[in-house]
Amino acid sequence: MTCILQCENLTVQYEGNIALSAVNVSVSAGKMVGLVGANGAGKSTLVNALAGWSRGRAMVTGKVLLEGQGIDGLAAHQRVQRGLTLVPEGKNIFAELTVDENLGLVRPPQDTAGRHIFRIPDVFEFFPRLAERRHHKGAALSGGERQMVAVGRALLAGPRVLVLDEPSAGLAPRLISDLLSRIRLLVDRGLPVLLVEQNVKAALRVVDHLCLLERGRIVAEGPADVMGADPRIVEAYLGTLATGDRS
Amino acid sequence: MNIAQQIVNGLVLGSGYACIALGWTILLGVARLVNFAHGQLYMLGAFATWYAMTRLGLPYPLAIIFAIVALAALGALMQSAMMGLVMSQNLTSLMIVTLGLGYVLQGGSALIFGGNPQTLPGTLSRAKVDLGSLWFTWQDVLVLLATLALYGAVWLFTQRTRFGSVIRAVAEDPKLSELFGINARVVYLCVFVFECSAVALGAALVAPRSPILTSMGFNEVIMTFVVVVLGGIGSIGGALAAGLGLGLFIAFFGAFIAQAYTTAAAFAVLLALLVIRPAGLATK
Repeated sequence: MTCILQCENLTVQYEGNIALSAVNVSVSAGKMVGLVGANGAGKSTLVNALAGWSRGRAMVTGKVLLEGQGIDGLAAHQRVQRGLTLVPEGKNIFAELTVDENLGLVRPPQDTAGRHIFRIPDVFEFFPRLAERRHHKGAALSGGERQMVAVGRALLAGPRVLVLDEPSAGLAPRLISDLLSRIRLLVDRGLPVLLVEQNVKAALRVVDHLCLLERGRIVAEGPADVMGADPRIVEAYLGTLATGDRS
Repeated sequence: MNIAQQIVNGLVLGSGYACIALGWTILLGVARLVNFAHGQLYMLGAFATWYAMTRLGLPYPLAIIFAIVALAALGALMQSAMMGLVMSQNLTSLMIVTLGLGYVLQGGSALIFGGNPQTLPGTLSRAKVDLGSLWFTWQDVLVLLATLALYGAVWLFTQRTRFGSVIRAVAEDPKLSELFGINARVVYLCVFVFECSAVALGAALVAPRSPILTSMGFNEVIMTFVVVVLGGIGSIGGALAAGLGLGLFIAFFGAFIAQAYTTAAAFAVLLALLVIRPAGLATK
């Protein structure tokens, strides 16, 4: 299967402190890979390093490959232009711009080969709620609506791969399930997705492959159904109820 | 006392303030950056126009273009040197650096152009219009019309074009804008070049009204600051209204109370308004 996004020996340090240590991850075409772990495990550090983006002073070493080509020397905006789009955790849209303006900031790619092309009507079809709110400023949107705008913006950039950092953070359970199943629809249409999620139960429902990150290292990975039964995952993230053991 | 003449004087003065403040309106109001060398850039714009007309023999319209291009190039240089501070939106350091830069520009200009006052020949500033008890010059008309047209164009550009949204996005969060595929460095460079070009245009239009000196600039940057803050940071229409309002206030204050205290009075108004409306006049 074609590997779209891959990192090799990715290491990230913040002022000498190692946040991520020699991590290898790959995302193939038409697959959704989940990345789970506790707070501070290095999940956001990993996806930000893949995107070449950081609000801190990260020192990144290792290789990042997009469709086999090294992109680790590129700035974040150049990686977006190449088709690696990240929806970061927390603030991910412009509060002072309307939904239309947020979406209009993104330039569609010139070279469409290998890209998943979406236009603004496609985004509104995918998230009908946004069509109703298109003239509202980002600051006036709910958390779920902001996530929709952020995902919509990432889609308009014509992604080769979509990287989502905790899209469910702060959302009601029903909205989480709705958002993740919509993203799964995109994967089923062929778009590869790397999903960082703290809600392991919700992630396991939609991902094909799961990686468990602990203290900056991948400590376990495998197909979602296998990982769902992994004692480390069950014990730390799902609890006994998830396995059906109600005794 | 001729009230109508004071209104004309106020509009003439105010359109000049607004015209000079246009670049800052975008720089501070839209991109959230500061440049306290703005006054010295105004002085340089005036001298670039004067140099083009008197030394290169260019006609006034071409001298304006010469000044715009010269200051745009200077702006690009300044911005490239300060990019680190700009990207981190470190306003305190930017304020200090640009203040220092202003003094360097002033000293350099004094060395090149000398300390004597100069006048811009061949403009419309001597073409007087007499309407009974009222008088003004065609240069005043040019400044007023150009200011209205420029503010209209800039408003349309920032509010109705994609690049206008890009500038507002970068101002709000330059890091996040990178994830939208935007090169924030290029955007900041464009904004700074625009500010310098706009102040050159303002200088070329406003400076012919009075003799130009290399020591000028301080009063212009102060008035620009008042106009942008009074109008409400980020409001282009507010800055225009504040510029015109400030001109009217100063004209009447100077005529009725005391000419010598107009700047102090303008600041008193600014302080009072900021107490009543902390976000400026143009806020809801």
